[in-house]
Parts: sequence; C-alpha cells; structure tokens
Amino acid sequence: AAKNGAGCSNSCLFQRHGFNFHSHPNSADVISTVEFSQSGEFLATGDKGGRVVIFQREPQGEYNVYSTFQSHDPEFDYLKSLEIEEKINKIRWLPQLHSALFLLTTNDKTIKLWKVSERDKQPEGYNLKDEEGRVKDISKITSLQVPVLRPMDLLVEASPRRVFSNAHAYHINSISINSDCETYLSADDLRINLWNLSITDRSFNIVDLKPDNMEDLTEVITVAEFHPHHCHLLAFSSSTGTTRLCDMRSRALCDQHAKLFEEAVDPASRSFFSELISSVSDVKFSHSGRYLLTRDYLSAKVWDLNMEKKPVETYQVHDYLRSKLCTLYESDCIFDKFECAWNGTDSVIMTGAYNNFFRMFDRASRRDVTLEASREVCKRRAVLRPRRVCIGRKRRESDICVDSLDFRKKVLHTAWHPTDNIIAIAARNNLYIFQDRHSPSGHHGVHRIEQETAPQLEDTPPQ
Amino acid sequence: MEYKVEAHRIMSISLGKIYNSRVQRGGIKLHKNLLVSLVLRSARQVYLSDYYAGVCLNAQHIEAKEWELMDADREKLIPASEAAQPSSADCGVSEAAQPGQTRTTGGAQLCLKRHVGAEDGRASRLQEKDGDSLDPSDVAVTSPVSPAISETQCGSSDCETDADAAVTEGDSRQPPKDHACSHRKRSAEETGVSETPVKRTKVTPNAIVANNEIEEGEEMDTSNVSNLITIFGSGFSGLLSKDSAKSESETDDSDSGSGQICCEQMLKNLNPWTTAIVAF
Repeated sequence: AAKNGAGCSNSCLFQRHGFNFHSHPNSADVISTVEFSQSGEFLATGDKGGRVVIFQREPQGEYNVYSTFQSHDPEFDYLKSLEIEEKINKIRWLPQLHSALFLLTTNDKTIKLWKVSERDKQPEGYNLKDEEGRVKDISKITSLQVPVLRPMDLLVEASPRRVFSNAHAYHINSISINSDCETYLSADDLRINLWNLSITDRSFNIVDLKPDNMEDLTEVITVAEFHPHHCHLLAFSSSTGTTRLCDMRSRALCDQHAKLFEEAVDPASRSFFSELISSVSDVKFSHSGRYLLTRDYLSAKVWDLNMEKKPVETYQVHDYLRSKLCTLYESDCIFDKFECAWNGTDSVIMTGAYNNFFRMFDRASRRDVTLEASREVCKRRAVLRPRRVCIGRKRRESDICVDSLDFRKKVLHTAWHPTDNIIAIAARNNLYIFQDRHSPSGHHGVHRIEQETAPQLEDTPPQ
Repeated sequence: MEYKVEAHRIMSISLGKIYNSRVQRGGIKLHKNLLVSLVLRSARQVYLSDYYAGVCLNAQHIEAKEWELMDADREKLIPASEAAQPSSADCGVSEAAQPGQTRTTGGAQLCLKRHVGAEDGRASRLQEKDGDSLDPSDVAVTSPVSPAISETQCGSSDCETDADAAVTEGDSRQPPKDHACSHRKRSAEETGVSETPVKRTKVTPNAIVANNEIEEGEEMDTSNVSNLITIFGSGFSGLLSKDSAKSESETDDSDSGSGQICCEQMLKNLNPWTTAIVAF
C-alpha cells in the first residue's frame, strides 16, 4: 500500500495483547495509562487494579511481556473515611542508564519509583542454608565453601526503591520527570509539587491554586508537564481551558504564569456545557519543545510557545458530538479525558475517540485518518482500514453513523514510540500495538502483510 | 418554554451527579464536581431567568435605551451585537443603571466576580465603580423606572445573568459580555480572588420578597441556605428541614429515588446568591 503523508500510513503490523479474553472483562484489567520508555524499547501499561505490565521489544519488532508487578494496592484514609483507589493514573520512565529500568508510577495519592532488573545468575553453595533455603544444622557442617554464581533462567524483578507519599491532599493527575533527571513534578487538582528522585520525605510546592475560601474555587489543574529540554519550564492546563507556562527561575511559587495560552470562546457557540468541553484533558510538549499539544473534549490544538492568544492549529476530533452534549453529560461521557500524542518528528498528532476509534492528523498536509482498534476488525498483521463517521446517510460500507457509535468503547490512552512509527492504543482492557510496515526502524523484511486493496486516506478539508 | 424544561432537567441530573459522587469509590472527584457545578449554575440561571421574564417587561422599554448606549461602547469587543433578550438583559442593566456612566468599564469587570456569587459580584461591581457606596437596597429603592420588586428580582440574579453568556442553545444574548467573560478568567486570575466581597450574608429583604413572588408564597430562608457547599456538607439536612422529617441516613442511600427527591427540593430552595461549588 502506498504511504500517504508523513507517518500516516495505515498499512500496519498489528499486535493485540488482551489481559482478559472473557466476554465480560474484569474492570480491574481496564488499562488506565500507557507509556513508552525513552528509547522505545519498553512499553509500560498500568491498570485499574494497580498492576503494571512492561513489554519489551524483541529483535523481530514485536512487543512481548517482560515483567508484571503489583504497583499499588487499595488503601483507606481513616481520617477522611475515604478509600484510595489503586488505579495507576500515570507512568513515567526515567532514561535508562544501565541494565536496570526505573519508572515512576502513581495512583491518586502516592508515587513510587520502581526498579526493574534482570537476574540471570544466582549464588549457590551457601554454608548455612541448603539449596531449598532451609537452615542447616550447624553441627552437621564439616567444611566451608565459597558460594559461586551459576546461571539461572532469566528472572525479571521489580522492587520499589522510593515511595513518595503524603504530599497531596487532592487526587494526583500527572507526574513528569524533569530533563535534569534529578527532579520530577507531581500535580493534583490544586497543587504541583517538585520532588528530588532521591528524597522522599519532602517536596517543594511550586504551584498552588487553592483559594483561601474553597467556595471561591473556579478552576482545577488537569495536567502538568515539564518542558523536554528546559529544566526550568513547566506547563500545566486547567479545567477552564487555559494552559500556563511557568518559569521556575523567576520565582519560587509559580502561581503567576510566564505565559497563558487561551483561545477566546466563540460566543455564538455557547451552551450549558461550554465550560465543560473546554476543560483541557491532556497537554504534551512536542519533542522539539517548540509546540504544545492540548486536548479538550472535542478538539486538539497545537500551540506555538511564542503565541499565546490562539493555537496555530486546531483539529476537530469528533465535532459531530457537539449536538449530543446533553446526552453525553447524562451518561458521564462528557467527563472522559482523552490523551494525545506526538509522533517522533512532531509531524503527526494522534488522539483517541469513541467506538474504539483513534485519529491521526498530519500537520503539514492537513490530512487525517480515523482508525479502529477492535478485536473484530483487526487480524494479526492486518492492514487497518480507514473509518469514517457520517452524520447522515452512509455513503460507504466502512462508514458508521453517529448514532451507532458505541460510547462505552473509548480510546482514552494512546502512546507513540519516541522515534519509530509504532503506536500503542489502549481500548478498555486490551492493548493494541500497531507498527507501520514502512517504519524507518529497518525491520522491513519481517513484515509480511496480508493486505487488501490499497486503502486511500480520506481527504478532509483543511481546518 | 422548552429550554426551561431542559434547564430543569439538566439541574436535576447535575444534582444527582453531585449526590452520587459522595458515595463513589476513591472519594469525591474535585474536578468532576467543579464541572458539574458549573453546568448546574448555568442551567439554574436559565431556569430562574425565565421567572423574571414577565415581571421585567415593564422595565425593558426604559432600559433598552441605556442598553443601546452600552452596546455602542462595547462595540470594539464584538463585531456585531445581536438583539439582547429583553427580559434578563434589561433586568441586569436596570440594576446597574444607577451609576450609569461607569457601566462601560464595568462591562468586563462584571464577569470578574461571576464565580463568587451574584450578590458578591454585584457588590464588588459597585465597589469597582470608584467606591460607589450603593448597596442593593439603595438601588432598589432609588430605581425610578420599575417597582422595587421587579428591580430586585432582576437584581438577585443580575450579575449571573448579565455577566454570564447566553446559556440557552442558540440564544446569543449579550455577546459583549460573553467576550468579556472569555477574558474574565485571565483578569480574575491576575487580580486574584482576594478581592473582598461584600458580606455574603447581606441577603436583602428584597431577595426574599422576590422569591416569594416566584415560589408562590413559600418563604425562602436565605439566611440558612448560604451556599451549596453547606447544603451538601450537612448531608441535605438543610434542604429537607422545612418539608420533611427525612433523616440524613436515609438521604445517604445512594439510590436515584432519594437523589431525585433531594433534587426537587433543592430546586425550590436554591438561593440565587449561592455559589455552586462543592467545597472540600
């Protein structure tokens, strides 16, 4: 199939990892976060049950399970009589320096630094205990031996190296590791704290939006992220649709922003839910550090850091939902927080939608594509066909009407490999990994794709 | 009117969500509840504004002239101003018409205190007018054009209705304020929320009079219902004190039935002065 647009090819190598193959999946298996490591060799997922699964890319190009561990358990706050969910809200990888992997995981209240390391040798020949670990009878020991390391089956162990707790009165929504690799931030609804990765008993508060009188509350922090290169810059978005850039050099408390990115709301389009749908659900710096990508309920916007008053690009993800906001409010769908992602070269952005659809927008050509991640549609090594949502009558077989969309199937979490055209899509309890067969990673020979006629990318008018 | 029905429905749904959030696992989600309370407030404004529609008809002709003057002043904010909906627009204008000449600069600041509540917003707006010492009762009394009741009925919802954007679908009332509101958030943030609002408890007798008109004689105990947080914080006991002997334990049952009853009683008791934010 011809490759259409930079990175927008839809001839893909496809893998699906399902955590539960039953028809009624356990809600604990619902994936709540997906994140590639900084090299892209590893992929981590967190789920509602507090479990983390790490995949490793094999030389052939496929991702297979590398390690699984229970990161967080349910807790109970006795003071407030509240249960603390074990759901993993975010995972962030540290850069890999040697053979061990380090990643931060967080639930609503506690952040943990995990070390994942391999062991392929074990000591044998202890003096005081036998092979099964039972303590030997000392009177029976007649000679001393030096234990030696012998090869064993590869064992991947995960151990919590740091636990950062009791720093957040509200629910943690983001963590972000600074480019200095020494500090990181954690953000809850009202505050952002700065931590040193080695120090768990204290953190610095750098943003505090809590009003003296909670009745005066007007906005909450939704996402926060450090700039990829400048260790003094961070961005955070709010429920009012604004995104702020803060400079930690200018003052210790970053309540005053250095820049405020906000687009004026069109008065003609106001409704009961205008404020709701303007709430920013995700913020991502581009790899270059020059742009910001924000996602609100109906659209994704690219902002130039040098221009605050409006985005440089706006992409309508599913504008056909604008007339259905009341229904979506009733069903709570309007509160869904969709994430967004950049590709390695910052030329394509991706975000999820309903019906297990996800969308990719090529920034240069303004072409976009809608694809579906679902067990029924995807065979192994199949080519993904572009989908289209129509408001009126179906014009093509692959079209789907707005009213037929399944709003229980939502792609909230998506991730793009840092350099290659490999994407990870989480659909409820299933993880889908798609690879572009024209990937520049050099694995062309392995991809034997059963493909249909070359699919055409849809032409949509420029935004 | 159908948007009133929809507003009522959205209010019920919103209250149900806030109620159910109290029993959700993981604790109350501040973000979601804030958003729900914003929707609740928008719907409530539309719902309540309808009550004032008929009463303010008297005032609208006289105030329309002043409204046009202000439209001209705010020309720069909007490319084309559409016909303001007479009822609530003019109610809002009539209230602030007293310190007439400073109204234009107050246009943007009107929105500043949106979230602090109608009374506070109006009071602080009055404050912003170079220390005008007008207070709500003064305004009501000195209004030459409308009876005190209509004045204060408008007044009781003024800041929120005229400072808020057109909430109903397709209703593009007051675009200048909408535009001003879009910058409100920035100005509010810059000035901080530390502007001291006039005492929230300065609920005027006028408001009670106004609500008597609406509530068909049911006296609204505005002094008890100071804000929505108090209501939910006390487990609906404030809501239900007048009308039933329902205990708090019953209301904590998380079935939609009791949520529904609470919704209906809440709708009757909602004080236009209340800020619809759930506090933690």
